[in-house]
Amino acid sequence: MATSTPARPRPGHEAHPHRRAPRRRRLGLGIGLWLPTAVAVVLFGFAWSAIAEDQPYLLPPLAEVGAVLVEDPALFLDNAWSTLSIALSGVACGAGTAFVLSLLMSEIPLLRRAIMPMAVVLNVTPVVALAPALVVAFGFGMTPKVIVTAIITFFPVLINVTTGLRSVSVPVLHVFSTLHASRMEVLFRLRIPSSLPYTLAALRVVFPLSIVGAVVAEFVAAGSSSGLGTMIRNSAATARLEYVYAAVACLAAMGVLMLALITVLERRLLFWHESQQRPTS
Amino acid sequence: MSDDRIEVRGLTKTYEGGDPLRPALDGIDLEIPRRHFVSLIGPSGCGKSTLLRVIAGLEGHDSGDVTVFGSTPKHMCEAKAVGLVPQTPALLPWLNVRRNVSLPSRVNRRAGRGSEDPDQLLRMVGLDDAARKYPHELSGGMKQRVAIARAFGLRPDLLLMDEPFSALDEFTREALQLQLLNMWEHMSTTVVFVTHSVREAVTLSDRIVVMSARPGRVHEVLPVDLPRPRDRDVVSGPHMHALEDRVRASLQSAWEAGAAPDDLVPL
Repeated sequence: MATSTPARPRPGHEAHPHRRAPRRRRLGLGIGLWLPTAVAVVLFGFAWSAIAEDQPYLLPPLAEVGAVLVEDPALFLDNAWSTLSIALSGVACGAGTAFVLSLLMSEIPLLRRAIMPMAVVLNVTPVVALAPALVVAFGFGMTPKVIVTAIITFFPVLINVTTGLRSVSVPVLHVFSTLHASRMEVLFRLRIPSSLPYTLAALRVVFPLSIVGAVVAEFVAAGSSSGLGTMIRNSAATARLEYVYAAVACLAAMGVLMLALITVLERRLLFWHESQQRPTS
Repeated sequence: MSDDRIEVRGLTKTYEGGDPLRPALDGIDLEIPRRHFVSLIGPSGCGKSTLLRVIAGLEGHDSGDVTVFGSTPKHMCEAKAVGLVPQTPALLPWLNVRRNVSLPSRVNRRAGRGSEDPDQLLRMVGLDDAARKYPHELSGGMKQRVAIARAFGLRPDLLLMDEPFSALDEFTREALQLQLLNMWEHMSTTVVFVTHSVREAVTLSDRIVVMSARPGRVHEVLPVDLPRPRDRDVVSGPHMHALEDRVRASLQSAWEAGAAPDDLVPL
């Protein structure tokens, strides 16, 4: 309920004079911002090509990587989708569980003491080591891969949301107390909105992490038939480096898209937060 | 026990880990009649904010009694009869000004307390144009006006203000003081106002409670017999200055009565 309020589109906000000025300035700065990146990318490309020409077993020529992608885009899209669906399902399970547990722990201290130590142990356990056992238990389908991804994404969300739910200013709590607000009202009107910046910061970490989880799970589950991780493993085994790097490029693109999505989400949900304010000269 | 006044009898409070020989509040006796404007003033550490929080029901106490219009602080809060303006505006940054002001009416609906129209309240503090803005778009003075409008929104029987203007520049502060007095005269509520500004206390109050520190005690209660409404003429008149001197003298003797703070370098 309270979380939906900030997302409302704000008519009239565009007309705000303080908002327009920096936007124009940003356009002016555009070249200055993009040029260094562009130069770095071009230099990187040259360095890559130089190495690839000299030692094709170290790096494949960029043109070949591009050609593989263009030749059969459906192959990469299918495998990307397979990996993405594992990653997203994992985030949904892991982050969702973590969020709900954080809420429960913030309300019930006893639960906090019960769960937190186990969560810490789960976090320090290398999930890669756990993955083969999960494959034995759940087979080569999606289940073990989603579980691996969920375990990886669980802890950052748990820690951040728990911190966020407690980061409530004392004077505001006092105002709520004098109104005799119920615990649920404090939770939904105050604690959850206050935790949003922390939650989104966790998602920013956890979304790229979910791709790592999905790929690792595909590496381990030897019998899996699709996914970019599977593709990388099989291609590497037959020394087809151009396929390996094309798949890696797809993974990178997925990560960038996820980050862009989070950035958009932050702009929408956290327009009120310090992190989203640009310094006014 | 009377229902037309706030009564504080023998109130003593020691903070956990604090020196039991020097309680934060030590045998406070105080009476505040309904519809009076009373300021608490004193050196830091005299317990004026603690006293305010005890009256607000935000903190407990060790011994003594606090009754607010014949009721306990807790019951007053349950009935949403207490308005609080903290030192920082304490607005919810994700709500616009209008929704911040109307927040009290959306919380604890069971109390069934009707509230003022938020637009009317914003007009009273001169912020009707800013209704759709968000706190981060407002100046410090504007934010504090929103907090005041929010506190007045439920027409509280008791309005508690904890140094609400201390972070503002002097010009804004004086303008807001007169605005507050104007609202208070319209709404005729009881105000307990914590301040460390002598001028502010004299400008606003019917009575000034001068407190001394370590232990926190009521040193003296001074009546302020300036006419109301307190417009700029009254506030700049000679009688005002005489009263300010009187309060300063009282603060000086309160300072000497209390033990020196531990963190002060000895001369």
